[in-house]
Amino acid sequence: MSKRPSLFSLVLSLPLLIWQLAFFLFPLLFLVAISFWTVRNFQMQPDFNTGNWVRIFTRSAFWDAYLRTFCLAAASAAITSAIAFPASYAISFKLSERARRWLIFVLIIPFFTSYLVRVYSLQVFLSDAGIINALLGKFGIGPFPLLNSTFGTLVGMITLCLPLVILLQLFSLNFVNRDLVEAAHNLRCARFRTVFLVIVPSAKVGLVIAALFAFILSFGDFVSPLYLGGGNPPTLSIMITDITKSGQQWPRAAVVALTMIGTLLTVAFLSIRFAYRERGE
Amino acid sequence: MNDQMTTNSIVKLDSVVKKFGDIFAVERVDFEIGRGEFLAIMGSSGCGKTTTLRMLAGLEDPTDGDIYLDGERVNGKATWDRDTPMVWQSLALFPFLTVQENVEFGLKMRGVSKVERIERARRWLEKMQILEFANRNISQLSGGQKQRVALARALVTEPKILLLDEPLSALDAHLKVRMQSVLSSLQKDLGITFVYVTHSMSEAFSMADRVVIMSRGKIEQIGTPQEIYREPRNRFVAEFLGSANIFTGALSRKTGVYWTIEAPDGSFEINAGKVTNKNEGDSVTFIVSAENMNVRPTGSQPNGITVTVVGEEFVGATAILFVETESGAELKIQKSHDEFSSLDTRPGSKLAVHWDPDHCHVLPGE
Amino acid sequence: MTGNRNIVINGLLKLHILACLVFIFAPIIGSFVFSLNSDRFPSLPLGHFSLQWYRLILEDPFVWAGFFNTVFVGAIVAVIATTLGFGGAYTDFRYNFIGKNAYLALALLPPTIPVVIMGLAMLAFLSRISLSGGTFSVIIAHGVMCSPFAMAIIRLRLSQMDPDLEAASWNLGGNEWATLRHVIMPFTKPAIFAALFITMAVSFDEFAVAWFVSGLHETLPVKILGFLQGQVSPRINAIGSLAFLSSITLIVFAQMLMRNPSTGPVEK
Repeated sequence: MSKRPSLFSLVLSLPLLIWQLAFFLFPLLFLVAISFWTVRNFQMQPDFNTGNWVRIFTRSAFWDAYLRTFCLAAASAAITSAIAFPASYAISFKLSERARRWLIFVLIIPFFTSYLVRVYSLQVFLSDAGIINALLGKFGIGPFPLLNSTFGTLVGMITLCLPLVILLQLFSLNFVNRDLVEAAHNLRCARFRTVFLVIVPSAKVGLVIAALFAFILSFGDFVSPLYLGGGNPPTLSIMITDITKSGQQWPRAAVVALTMIGTLLTVAFLSIRFAYRERGE
Repeated sequence: MNDQMTTNSIVKLDSVVKKFGDIFAVERVDFEIGRGEFLAIMGSSGCGKTTTLRMLAGLEDPTDGDIYLDGERVNGKATWDRDTPMVWQSLALFPFLTVQENVEFGLKMRGVSKVERIERARRWLEKMQILEFANRNISQLSGGQKQRVALARALVTEPKILLLDEPLSALDAHLKVRMQSVLSSLQKDLGITFVYVTHSMSEAFSMADRVVIMSRGKIEQIGTPQEIYREPRNRFVAEFLGSANIFTGALSRKTGVYWTIEAPDGSFEINAGKVTNKNEGDSVTFIVSAENMNVRPTGSQPNGITVTVVGEEFVGATAILFVETESGAELKIQKSHDEFSSLDTRPGSKLAVHWDPDHCHVLPGE
Repeated sequence: MTGNRNIVINGLLKLHILACLVFIFAPIIGSFVFSLNSDRFPSLPLGHFSLQWYRLILEDPFVWAGFFNTVFVGAIVAVIATTLGFGGAYTDFRYNFIGKNAYLALALLPPTIPVVIMGLAMLAFLSRISLSGGTFSVIIAHGVMCSPFAMAIIRLRLSQMDPDLEAASWNLGGNEWATLRHVIMPFTKPAIFAALFITMAVSFDEFAVAWFVSGLHETLPVKILGFLQGQVSPRINAIGSLAFLSSITLIVFAQMLMRNPSTGPVEK
């Protein structure tokens, strides 16, 4: 109503703004600053030294880890989306309203279990003498080395992402106009083709954003690569924890962290642009 | 301007303008509302009627111009510092409070003691005949009962003016008529001013002492329902009322008490007494109401034209025949079913219509 | 839309849903089962039923200290995050201003930044301004991570509110503060409680930031990480199961509040 913000509006809006500026944006900006600092005698000193960037970017171990992390996250996003889609499609189109609401509730539960505990439990399932191999052994196959492998890492990441991806896909599928589907059937488009020609394009934004979230979660995850993938060779997150724990090389850890943020922002920007791109002129 | 305000008016709008961004919601509106008057502001959606009401309530601030309430200029005065309770279209009853608590709300905000609050709220609940529901949840009430709660909640502070924003639009026809009479008698009993915004002509005309018709942020006509119905000022009002046929032509010659008008569909006569401030050659627009149109199978009549039937609509005991002139103008004829029964009213058939030159009304604003 | 083919396809799709649920819940249920199992490293066939792991953690004073710390931090974080989130949600609901998108991005983005990076940034920043190492720093970090959840929950509730309710209260003589107290807060009350419980549950689970930021004042998840790094111990399962049960209790409370019919959304 008025041109100048009222005391009331400031009291409500500013606390969150100040909190997030002070404890979210500032720390991230501070990370940028310390990436140029130097470490002498195990002490960080303010400086403007590009040496940390040069040192990290010229190490082939960094680029190996970068490529590995990126591919793992991309694979996790793709596999999770592929597994999730038939499930979210079926929940959205084949189940009753009541069953759908129950499933949504059930899918929210994993968010409130410790990821770490789940990963520990998965170790028991996947180890050489674990549940899976014991089951397979009854049929006379195996044992397979499931733990400390890329397979193990991906299983962990998919456990982390699957509920979220199903939920996000589900919400976008629920918004698909049912008339479009019937119109497609009416125009003699068979069911299977309708899914790919009508439903997937209609829900594109939600599907892309679900995959993006899977990518973001997997890219930054360090629990699965460490405890299910064996931690060696490391991913970027493990690299950060290693660098921070071994002495005071925080500036270099900051370089790795900022590279990760840069990558995430680029991927997020590109996928959102892709998601919202309209066809036609 | 303030001193010119008559002591009888409680509201005065002086060149009031409201812009949302670059769009004019209300464009230079002037009018006064008398004490104890029931004023309806009528128009289609987006005409600025609700914005005008919200400016009176203090929910919007005018971009330009002045608003006076009871002699005091109230521009910029917060809605909670005014005494202009409003009844919302959605009713806006608080779902987390009981009926009684809803009615008490305005008193609570004014710091009235709990004992007095309860006493006054119950008095109003009784007046509105909903005392038995005092402890109910809002969601347990019917539409009409909710309506009464909203009225009690607004009136419990005993204001001098009540603002109503399409409060009856959600009710069915029967209940609507009943609530209209409740509102009318309530307004007469209390003797306070009601400002009633609606898009419905029947609501406005049946309850209001005066009606303001708005379109595109401007006032088209102010007057009593009879004045507006009998003598619409311009084409917009005539079209908005919807029951009249509109003709436009040029004055050609005056014979006795009649002017002859040359229109695209022919030449018509019109009572010269209805034409003021016009000379030969001037353009005039006049209306003939649908009931005053006469219709015959064929043959040319004085003051008549040949038309083609487009379709027919039944309205209770009467029917409305939609016809088209040779120039493509659309006309309506309203008659009893009996009168139409002798005619061929199938789409495409030709009929002759004519009317009495004394039944025309010339629009002064055109 | 009938025919055998459709029945087969629908059956397969439902089987797929079931398979996904098994995949998602196997580790969770597994953890429960293992926590009640006598074997140090369970496999098939399972060992016998035992409460020894629960006894071990209940006897461990460090676990108790960690637990109280977790609850303490969780309660304070819940209050802070819900207060901040409420302000943010109302701001988004009520106001339009230049830079609103930046405001919303700043308010809602923290959960998308990997916890490792958040932990690193916070540790570096907070140690610079001498706030690291204490319970205080954990609360600050959790406040950042949890307030977006509170904001989203309360914003969702506000979007169910008829905006005329607020105007009606102003119109009846309540100024903005009184309206906040007597209309907005009662209407959003279920969401406020849901936000309190859910942010507390998120704080329970948010271990990595805590691990980086806290020094000695370990919260329960940090303790779990300690177990993992050292010898593998099934005590984790017991702790995890207890934490899960407390989280779920909070969530069920939140759900019940959100669904309470007497405070349900207005019918429009």
